[in-house]
Amino acid sequence: MVPAADRGRRRSAAAPGQEEDALIADRRGPASEGTRPRQPDARGLVDRGGGGGVAWEAFGAGEPPIVFVPPWQIVHSRVWKMQVPDFARRHRVVTWDARGNGRSDRPLDPALHSVRARAADLGAVMDAAGLASAVLVGLSGAGRVMVAFAADHPERVRGLVFVCPGSPFGQSDRGDVDFEAPLESDEGWNKENLPFWRRDFRAYLEFFFAEAFPEPHSTKVREDAVCWGLDTDPESLAATVRAPTDVDLAGLTDMCASIRCPSLVIQGTDERISHVTQGIGLARAIPEARLLLLDGAGHVPNARHPVTVNLAIRRFIDELEGTDR
Amino acid sequence: MTAEARAGAITPDGGRARLPDESGVAVAPDGVRLAWESFGAGDPTIVLLPSAPIVHARQWKGQIHFLSRSWRVIAFDGRGNGRSDRPTDPGAYHDDRFTEDISTVMDATGTASAVLVGLCVDGVWRAIRLAAEHPERVRGIVAFSVGVPRLAPAQPHYVDASAHFDEELPSSEGWAKMNRHHWLRDYPDWAEFFFSEITSEPHSSKAIEDAVGWSLDTSVEVMLAERGADFPFDTDSVEAICRSVTCPMLLVHGTEDTCQLPARAERLAELTGAPLVLVEGADHMIPGRHPVLANLLIRDFVRGLAPNPTRPGDSR
Repeated sequence: MVPAADRGRRRSAAAPGQEEDALIADRRGPASEGTRPRQPDARGLVDRGGGGGVAWEAFGAGEPPIVFVPPWQIVHSRVWKMQVPDFARRHRVVTWDARGNGRSDRPLDPALHSVRARAADLGAVMDAAGLASAVLVGLSGAGRVMVAFAADHPERVRGLVFVCPGSPFGQSDRGDVDFEAPLESDEGWNKENLPFWRRDFRAYLEFFFAEAFPEPHSTKVREDAVCWGLDTDPESLAATVRAPTDVDLAGLTDMCASIRCPSLVIQGTDERISHVTQGIGLARAIPEARLLLLDGAGHVPNARHPVTVNLAIRRFIDELEGTDR
Repeated sequence: MTAEARAGAITPDGGRARLPDESGVAVAPDGVRLAWESFGAGDPTIVLLPSAPIVHARQWKGQIHFLSRSWRVIAFDGRGNGRSDRPTDPGAYHDDRFTEDISTVMDATGTASAVLVGLCVDGVWRAIRLAAEHPERVRGIVAFSVGVPRLAPAQPHYVDASAHFDEELPSSEGWAKMNRHHWLRDYPDWAEFFFSEITSEPHSSKAIEDAVGWSLDTSVEVMLAERGADFPFDTDSVEAICRSVTCPMLLVHGTEDTCQLPARAERLAELTGAPLVLVEGADHMIPGRHPVLANLLIRDFVRGLAPNPTRPGDSR
């Protein structure tokens, strides 16, 4: 663990000719990395030109490879800490930090955080990690990114697992909160507001993750997640909130309809971040997608119910291999 | 054998990771019925001792399913809780009765000898007594959170609270909750406080909630009766009994144990020559709060007892 005071800002670009591993090794890990049960076998930094670097790591070996696609940059790749050591026993596992948190750079240009920009990052990470195709597993906001990528590059996607995906195909019971203007009250979701973030970012994170993990006995995972949130900062995260919409409802509907690979949606019923109907709606929008509802689970079941989620993903991949070969 | 379930309800068992292969009721010489369950097969049998009456056999929920893959495991509800009888006469909670209960259950389950695993006074001290008095019945002892009275001073908060246990106190804050009148007024408040204090590791909410639930399966009358039983040995006798134990032992104690000072474990290690594993940062409820560590320590201890590589259940 690196004390926060010792953490320098990340450098923004690769020196020409420098070994990728040396470059990424030079980047200090996030303060909240803790003790990892498995260290990466390879890692690198994909230079996105003026947009800075995207950091990735690879673990283990075995087919099919699995890429864990990052959700909103309020967390980084440690959100997969309960998946990596399990799946890396049998598969090549690749994780990456979306720009804005983790070992990746934190560009403030909102255009770099759009769905299509992140789908392009996913392709660039797969190229860098040497993966022609993979099973994609993504949480929350990764859903749209995976749909966009699968629609444009069906040959690179062997299966899709969506964990509590946000989608426009369901309801939302969070009112519209003005993100930019100061608000009179800090109650509830009014904390999702940039002036409040600047005042007390940790209080927002604690609120957000209490909603994300409504299950009893979640103190450890909430504490972990708040630390991952503190690895970014209000301005970097604000850039992601301001990302332009480059995939609209009609576009996403068409993209979903075009998907032909096996797909699984894992959705908690005590969802308080997006809405349970958003996952159900996505499963309906993708041809022959399967839906697994986890009774009483919140928004991040891969972290809170890792055994259940890992077994579901394993079963999905085993069946995939059965039909693939 | 059919278990004669007690009339009184206990909290639902929840989704148990492993159901018993056999269950039954053993009757102690004083007539108290003791409900037992047995899981799995394989020699040696492991008997998990109850910390009665404050909790019952579910205290071993983190161990049973693991150990019973390799060995026969027996757990029983100690007198005063679970599916066992709940006498309210202090005489029923004499140290001799608790020690005798182990042999009663071993007899009822056809267990000539066993490895005993226990926690605190109820588990550790009674295992030591049985090993001293009937060495042929005890193949080894794994002692968690060593509670052997008199070996070293008790925790100061126990000494204070015990001195005023029967008095009406002006406050019921903190360890003043350990008080007859407070128990009669609000026993659940005491249970909540007690298990929160002795499970002080971060992120212990589930372990605390479980233990509080089991402690509410007994009654304040039982708890007061048990407190009324005197401990019948002085320090010299306790030390002599400890020294006389000849079976292998493993002692496991948390450095932050709020219930039993590590000094008691250190003294027991001196008296018996048994190895002591000090668990950095752990409080009292090691099997419940740190089940993986506890299970691996028990497993390695039992494997070390029986070097026969072909024994049932040993796949390595």
